[in-house]
Amino acid sequence: MDIVTCIKRVPDTSDADIIIDASQREIEGDTLAFKINDWDEYALETAVQLKETLGGSLTAVTVGPKEWDDVLRRALAMGADKAIRVDEDMITADSYMVAGILESLLRSLSYDLVLFGAQSEDFGSGQLGIMVAEMLGVPHVSLVVSLQVQDGIARVKRELEAGALESYTIELPAVLTVQTGINRPRYISLSGIKRAMTKELQVLSLSGLSLSQEMLAPMVRLERLETPPTGKKAEFISGSPEESAEQLAKILQNSGVF
Amino acid sequence: MAEILVVAEHRRQTLADVSLQMLSKGRQLADQASAELLAVVIGRNVDGYAQELARWADRVLAVMNEKLGESLAEPSQKILTSIIKERKPSLVLMGHSSFGMDLAPALAVELGAPLATDCLDLFIGNGSITATRSIYNGKVNAVYSFIPCETLIVTGRVGEFPIEDWDKQGEIEEIDFPLEEEFNYKQFEGYIEQEAGGVDITQAEVVVSIGRGIKDKEHIELAQQLASELGGVVACSRPVVDYGWLPSERQVGLSGKAVKPKLYLALGISGAFQHVVGLKGSKMIVAINKDARASIFSLADYGIVDDILKVVPLLIQKIAALKG
Repeated sequence: MDIVTCIKRVPDTSDADIIIDASQREIEGDTLAFKINDWDEYALETAVQLKETLGGSLTAVTVGPKEWDDVLRRALAMGADKAIRVDEDMITADSYMVAGILESLLRSLSYDLVLFGAQSEDFGSGQLGIMVAEMLGVPHVSLVVSLQVQDGIARVKRELEAGALESYTIELPAVLTVQTGINRPRYISLSGIKRAMTKELQVLSLSGLSLSQEMLAPMVRLERLETPPTGKKAEFISGSPEESAEQLAKILQNSGVF
Repeated sequence: MAEILVVAEHRRQTLADVSLQMLSKGRQLADQASAELLAVVIGRNVDGYAQELARWADRVLAVMNEKLGESLAEPSQKILTSIIKERKPSLVLMGHSSFGMDLAPALAVELGAPLATDCLDLFIGNGSITATRSIYNGKVNAVYSFIPCETLIVTGRVGEFPIEDWDKQGEIEEIDFPLEEEFNYKQFEGYIEQEAGGVDITQAEVVVSIGRGIKDKEHIELAQQLASELGGVVACSRPVVDYGWLPSERQVGLSGKAVKPKLYLALGISGAFQHVVGLKGSKMIVAINKDARASIFSLADYGIVDDILKVVPLLIQKIAALKG
């Protein structure tokens, strides 16, 4: 079975201060660390596990500038056989444009299953995988939390609200978008990293893909970035851990919690 | 602007709250832009839904088809494509729910329509629409505009738009929609409800909730000690379940449970909206997080900016001492 996993590189914004730059369209990236998108790591692990049981090939794909090679190397270290980067900075692109590029690339590859993370950590629009499926004319299931593949059929469970799931059987080829928690992504071993350095990382330019001009113009434009309104703000308890713990304990006591 | 269309969804004989939220926003926008508000509901037996939707909508299209029990993405996409191509609404609104997430991007591609998902707000001015989204872990808002288009598709964040009461008594139009396509390539096999677990966090008066900041499974013991000192239960945000450290029955949020305790103590939780949706019913919220910019602090009554692993052991001691 041939699997393609589409991944992206994102800034790690979980504990970082995010500063909007002077253009008001980008954030200052100098102080940020970059990583593979969380959801994509689960998608990769899903793909590697399938390859381990069913055999076949696994190709990791991204669309981005040279720095994005690091997430492809990571994919190769996890177990991908091959990586492809379409060399284009998509900063002003909308999901349509990236989907169009991936569609064009996928049409040149052999695949039974295309896996995406259900969304990205940075923009979180959750559109890409489903758009690519529609463009390719293959079925999709989003928010997948369980997957079994046998004889050209995938049995999947997808996440709904409030702890409920729904299950589907779906014919391959298909596109699935993977939800976090579907598995435990493996740690990358030193030998995996060494092996990854010997694997093929192909770089393609946009001109190598057959794309119409229409596909290369965004339909959605970022006008500006803003600092979100703070709303109500917590009353902060300051001091050493000792002092703040003491104060909080008293507040809880006075509120009748105990 | 001629028409705003809201796609309603239902599951297990219940209309989704998010559809009423979208109708409420749609009603505001329609009144502001002198447009008609149209609701579409698709299913086997949708009379009851249609009547409810007519409280907000000027017109409800009740699309009947024997094959359509629940709100499933593919048949909905075919039917909506046909309706949208015919009526050309300026705006199509639906919830950014598991249903909307599955449907909207495919619908947008089929129609060639611009799409903005998981929006916090929408504005109409000078005949054009802008949408606000939350990006980078809720730390930045992004405002988007769209190329001139016949129809724009937007999904709205669940719980972000309050349900406003209306009594429009809109017209209900029943449409019988034959579907030739069988959708054999994708078969719906049924729902799986979460098994009832040992602990029901929804009934607890004190919830000690842990997030990514707990860092290690072994540290959960700390939260358990604090919870037992306060007579409460331990709950968590999504990453803790994803790591396999707590079972999913302990998860608070959109894909987990909604809680309404007297005290919600958020330990090392950043405050992603998917989590926050599940704790809004709490009377008092206290957050401890080492990131001063964490969005949980804009919801909390009290906050401590520090490492939970330093503060929590001391907090357990102090509470024990005060209890005497």
